[in-house]
Amino acid sequence: MAVALFLGLALLTSWELYWKSQGYFSELDDNKALWAVNRAKVDDLSKDDVVILGSSRAHFDLQLNEWEHITGKRPIMLASDGTTPTPVFKDIVENTNFAGTVVIGIAPGLFFNPIEKGFMWNRAQVRIDHFYDRTYAQKANHYLSLPLERSFSFLNASEEQWSDDIDLKTLVQKFQFGNRTEGPPPIPFNNFGFVDKDRNVTMFEKTKTDTAFANTVITAWRVFSSDAPPSVLEPVVGFYNEWIPKLEARGGKVIFLRLPSSGSFRERELKNIPRESFWDAFLAETNSAGYHFEDYPQLNQFTCPEESHLYTPDARVLTKELLQILIQDKLISKTN
Amino acid sequence: MLFNSLSFVAFLMIVLALYYSKLLSWNGKKRMLLLSSYVFYGMWNPPLVILLWISTIVDWTAGKKLAIVTNSRSRKMWLILSMVVNLGFLAFFKYGNFLLENFTTLMHTIGWEFQARPMDIILPMGISFYTFQTMSYTIDMYKGKTERARTFLDFALYVTFFPQLVAGPIVRAKDLITQFYVPKKASMNQFIWGLFLLTIGIFQKVVLADALLATTSDTVFDSTKIIHGLDAWIGTLAFSGQIFFDFAGYSTCAIGIALMLGIVLPDNFKYPYAAIGFSDLWRRWHISLSSWLRDYLYIPLGGNRHGITRMYVALALTMLLGGLWHGAAWTFVVWGALHGSYLIVERLLRPLVKIKINAWNGIFLALLTYTCVNITWVYFRAKEFETANNMISSMLLFNREGEKILPAAEIMKVIIVIVGLFICHWIMRNTSMKAVSQKIPSWLLGIIWAILFFLICIAQGSGEQFIYFQF
Repeated sequence: MAVALFLGLALLTSWELYWKSQGYFSELDDNKALWAVNRAKVDDLSKDDVVILGSSRAHFDLQLNEWEHITGKRPIMLASDGTTPTPVFKDIVENTNFAGTVVIGIAPGLFFNPIEKGFMWNRAQVRIDHFYDRTYAQKANHYLSLPLERSFSFLNASEEQWSDDIDLKTLVQKFQFGNRTEGPPPIPFNNFGFVDKDRNVTMFEKTKTDTAFANTVITAWRVFSSDAPPSVLEPVVGFYNEWIPKLEARGGKVIFLRLPSSGSFRERELKNIPRESFWDAFLAETNSAGYHFEDYPQLNQFTCPEESHLYTPDARVLTKELLQILIQDKLISKTN
Repeated sequence: MLFNSLSFVAFLMIVLALYYSKLLSWNGKKRMLLLSSYVFYGMWNPPLVILLWISTIVDWTAGKKLAIVTNSRSRKMWLILSMVVNLGFLAFFKYGNFLLENFTTLMHTIGWEFQARPMDIILPMGISFYTFQTMSYTIDMYKGKTERARTFLDFALYVTFFPQLVAGPIVRAKDLITQFYVPKKASMNQFIWGLFLLTIGIFQKVVLADALLATTSDTVFDSTKIIHGLDAWIGTLAFSGQIFFDFAGYSTCAIGIALMLGIVLPDNFKYPYAAIGFSDLWRRWHISLSSWLRDYLYIPLGGNRHGITRMYVALALTMLLGGLWHGAAWTFVVWGALHGSYLIVERLLRPLVKIKINAWNGIFLALLTYTCVNITWVYFRAKEFETANNMISSMLLFNREGEKILPAAEIMKVIIVIVGLFICHWIMRNTSMKAVSQKIPSWLLGIIWAILFFLICIAQGSGEQFIYFQF
């Protein structure tokens, strides 16, 4: 047993040091358990509080520390990568008494999708279902895993199953030879950010500094965009026209945001989901407040390193600038 | 709570600390184990602990009465009460939706547009295991094969003992309750061996089943395409390995944890993929269930005491119900029917084909058995008959143009693991891990243990549920 203990710890230590030397560091997994912990906070919020919904763009671009510093309130971050915020919005209106402000980031390719079906909807629904169905054991597992995830770099595997995860299953899957299957080989999709316990994201520095790395993510966006279903407007308008009045009736409000994208990603969005036909039409038909980055020079000064999300220092600036606008328009108030 | 989770690690450390502390008497330790077992179960869904309590109280009362009452009619009534409650739980919670669906289908078939409201019944974890365990006590009491549990605490702990509560082994009263009568404490060797078994079990589940085989099996069985024969075989072989490592892993953990407390649980698997023939398979696979089905179903149905025809009927019925025990779906019934057919064919052939088993024909027959078992796994794993039938067609090479969905490296990975599994079972078929461990130097065992521990840590299992929890 002594041999096993000594050798086992020696192997693990070597493994940890190896991955540290490869640039990995300890980070939390932005999984459904962490999302559920933050979702639970919504039940206790006041009228002054803010909940952020959206896809990865709202997740990366809205920085909670800056938001808290300026307004005195730390928002609840429920935006999730690769999801539409629509089912989460419905859940909050339907199943909580929240009467504060819901900020919804619109990433057009993910937002203007059919209601109650599809990949983007299902990914969000999995998290909502976990919030309601999680067992005491799952809650305990999550809290016990946090200190370990914060301490060890080798525990770098995500529910997202990134191509550069370093769990055994992913490492084994990296061994590939031949070209047996039909169709193109799967493209690598690497992680490019990490979260804290409040799900505030920091983009990896290499996403900004390592063009080759950023290009792997850009390639992934291109492939995902080509597989995306055609965007739809009317079902989404109909859905929000049903649920926004219910939130407003109890004193809540909704603000929609269109956050920056760049390069070829932006070109695809302009071509496939034109602003006038989707963003402008959506705001008009739902009679909602919305802020498009193109309309404000202070929000339109950034380039996304991987074409879809802001580098964190830029995201901090954008958050501050955005809040100045929202405070000026009396949509967000300072409580400090 | 899952053995492969951090909460269980914390739970077990607390239980062991209390168990080996001098704070508690033996009765106090048993109360602590009972309370821990309820916590272990309740961490999943607290209200469902009530079912355990009801099952415990009913069978304790029935057992008590059966020990006292001599009137045969009264005895039968107490037995029936136990059966009704336990099988009633199973019928409602496990088969309620299935029965309703089939009733609705039947009504539609005869032209009545009956539409039932979905019942959305939660399947209590491990209900098939603990109901069978408590029923065995009452049946044995009725038949006078076991003595009444001395105290309610001993009986409640027998029903609820956390290492084997949710996925077995299904232990008979005489094998477990009696161990609670005298203070138990693991010797240092027992404790270390128990910890080693726990490591082996978690390695089987986290590394072999979840990290190496589950993805391949899921890819193949979740595919909606007509797939290539090789892909169908590899997916099925992957599932055969996954379900073995998953379930045997759980049993190994259970046996190891119990041993750390000084309690001995029986083996549940004896290298089943090296079985030569199907009778041999069922002496090696899920032994506690197959012996339960033999003693409480096959023999009461007549067994081999009433002629050949009755024996085959009993065998077929036992395997059909054994299939249904695994899940409320017709695919499981087909799985049971196939195994029943194999057993019947084997018994029919036995007097006609006399083979003296040696190493060469033995391994061939073991491979043949394993191949036939793989055919049955298709029905066990597939959610729909259409998927299963397409898979079988592909495996029989009827779909030569089927789509290739598995990369070459993934096929290689499954072949390496499954060939390793088969060789390991063949080498170990007439021995045990304990016997082998005693022959190898302790430093080598230490190195193996360290590697297992390391691989478990780097696999970073996400706490996948054991497959057999749903049964």
